[in-house]
Amino acid sequence: MDGAGGDAMAPVVEFHDVTVAYAGRPVLWHVDLVIRGPALYGIVGPNGAGKSTLLKAALGLVPLAGGRVTFDGGALADSRARVGYVPQRETVDWGFPVNVMDVVLMGTYGRLGWFRRPGRRERDVAGECLRRVGLADLAGRQIGRLSGGQQQRVFLARALAQEAVIYLLDEPMAGVDAGSQELIFGVLDSLRAAGRLVIVVHHDLRSAAGWFDGVALVDMRVVAAGPTAAVLTAENLRRTYAGQPAVLEELARAVAAGGRTP
Amino acid sequence: MIAALVPYNTLVVAAAVAAVGLAAGMVGALAVLRRRALAGDAAAHGSLAGVATAFLATGRRDLGWLLVGGLVTSLATLAALVAIRRWTRTRDDAAMALVLGVSFGAGVALVTGITARGLPDSAGLEQFLLGHTAGVTAGDAALLAVCALGAAGLVTLGLKELTLVAFDEAFAAAAGWPVGLVDLGLVGLIAVMVVVGLPAAGAVLVTALLVIPPVAARQWTDRVGTMVLLAGLFGTLSALVGVVGSALVPRLPTGPVVVLAAAALAAVSAVAAPGRGWWSRRAAARRALVAWREGDLLASLARGDRPPAGADGALRRALADGLVARGAGGFTLTAAGTARAADLARRREAWARILATAPDDARAFLTVDLPDPAAVIDGARLAEIRSAAERCR
Repeated sequence: MDGAGGDAMAPVVEFHDVTVAYAGRPVLWHVDLVIRGPALYGIVGPNGAGKSTLLKAALGLVPLAGGRVTFDGGALADSRARVGYVPQRETVDWGFPVNVMDVVLMGTYGRLGWFRRPGRRERDVAGECLRRVGLADLAGRQIGRLSGGQQQRVFLARALAQEAVIYLLDEPMAGVDAGSQELIFGVLDSLRAAGRLVIVVHHDLRSAAGWFDGVALVDMRVVAAGPTAAVLTAENLRRTYAGQPAVLEELARAVAAGGRTP
Repeated sequence: MIAALVPYNTLVVAAAVAAVGLAAGMVGALAVLRRRALAGDAAAHGSLAGVATAFLATGRRDLGWLLVGGLVTSLATLAALVAIRRWTRTRDDAAMALVLGVSFGAGVALVTGITARGLPDSAGLEQFLLGHTAGVTAGDAALLAVCALGAAGLVTLGLKELTLVAFDEAFAAAAGWPVGLVDLGLVGLIAVMVVVGLPAAGAVLVTALLVIPPVAARQWTDRVGTMVLLAGLFGTLSALVGVVGSALVPRLPTGPVVVLAAAALAAVSAVAAPGRGWWSRRAAARRALVAWREGDLLASLARGDRPPAGADGALRRALADGLVARGAGGFTLTAAGTARAADLARRREAWARILATAPDDARAFLTVDLPDPAAVIDGARLAEIRSAAERCR
């Protein structure tokens, strides 16, 4: 892709004919998708299109009715240490008795393994990750006493502490202020620059056009996938958001506006 | 000296029950954080049938076998709960009521049947219903203590993993941790503590020993480790109060005393704990309101208006603090008052800007007492908001 084709460790995630069903109804239906790194890649689509399920299917958090997902050509079990995950913010209880540092340290648990507690090195890594997301001063704060954008950045710092090669993020911009969104995208962009593969479930087409170098439009199946400019066309959007004309019109304007910003 | 006054057996039993309280609080803290408090209740009610069955099978009151029996039916009850949830469309609360009722009914029927027939050695079996430590021997106590300390040790060993799964199951699973196995370990520990807690609190009340101390502990701290420790401490205290009460008053079951002691600790915690406690939150709300009224008063005086209606209290305080002086034409601001009013106006202005450019931060941190933004929002974020506000102009 970028002349580093000979690098055997260039990260890649492949969905082969993946189908996921809840109570017999397909949420994802024969999804074929290959995402090659390094890249900052967006999974975009309407509400209920199965975007989050796509990530969960990749991570083995929901059972597959059919198909398979590979990481760097192999099973997830062989790549656990290379994969970092940021769940949706609402999935945890923010009143939980842990502070910011505790949560970021959880990113280092995978490398520590059973029963070993984080030590000096882990604290240094976590502190550095907190600095990257601009929360170094809040390490000791209980996580409920943060704004939505700061909570999302704590989750991002925890994923950074995993020191992964492939990052999967589920709606990291939901309920996040503009400043945090800018910062989060900046961090993700630097991960891409460092050779990582960053896959982001995202709902805002305006910023999608500005930041992602590849996009998959998903609505139960993959409507279109590839370089952002080639995918976010009026025709593809019409096919993805069919039945939502009001949304469509706004999207068309948003993309036209977003496409011009760097 | 104490040993001279209290029988040796009572001392040993007290030490063992203290260990049980410690472990119950520690295991309970993780159970509550993982929202498995009701699992403890089902396990507790299910244990009675096993105790009775073990007695029938062995024909004597050997505590070790009785507890093994209790553990088996506890786990069977939990398995039934899981099975109903998985293979039928019964909702959780209905499934819980069903399993709890059936297993406890069976237990009570067996125990009363055995004692009514007057089988040899069966007296005291009904003490497993409400707990009665006065009948525990030194040998039994040693068994209880070993089990309890083992459970406490396992919680300490696996604290990192249990916390991770309790806090963020999806992240843990995605990072490759066997969430099901960790949960199984936790539920196993809950069942063990329920059974080990039977002599101290009885099948009906042992859940309280697992649940109430953690709830009390949560009020005092925002860290899991501290919470586990405090819950253990509160559990120990409650259990000891129960033992002493049961030893002093003949025929008084231990369970109710333990539960009441734990509840008293929880009540005190909910009222008096700094930060989360009712008293502390009320005081903070009052301070904010007082500061708000004072700001309101100073602002209207600064505009040259009369004090607003209902500001008598604020006015009296402002006079006492030297912010306001009584002049010929009414109330006027002193130099200090003018400075304070200007300061408050600046803060209000600053918050208005933050609300316009970063409503998310304003929602999270703005209170009516208008704190200095720099005191509640961290420096880097504040600089960001300010530069965003600059760009908007």
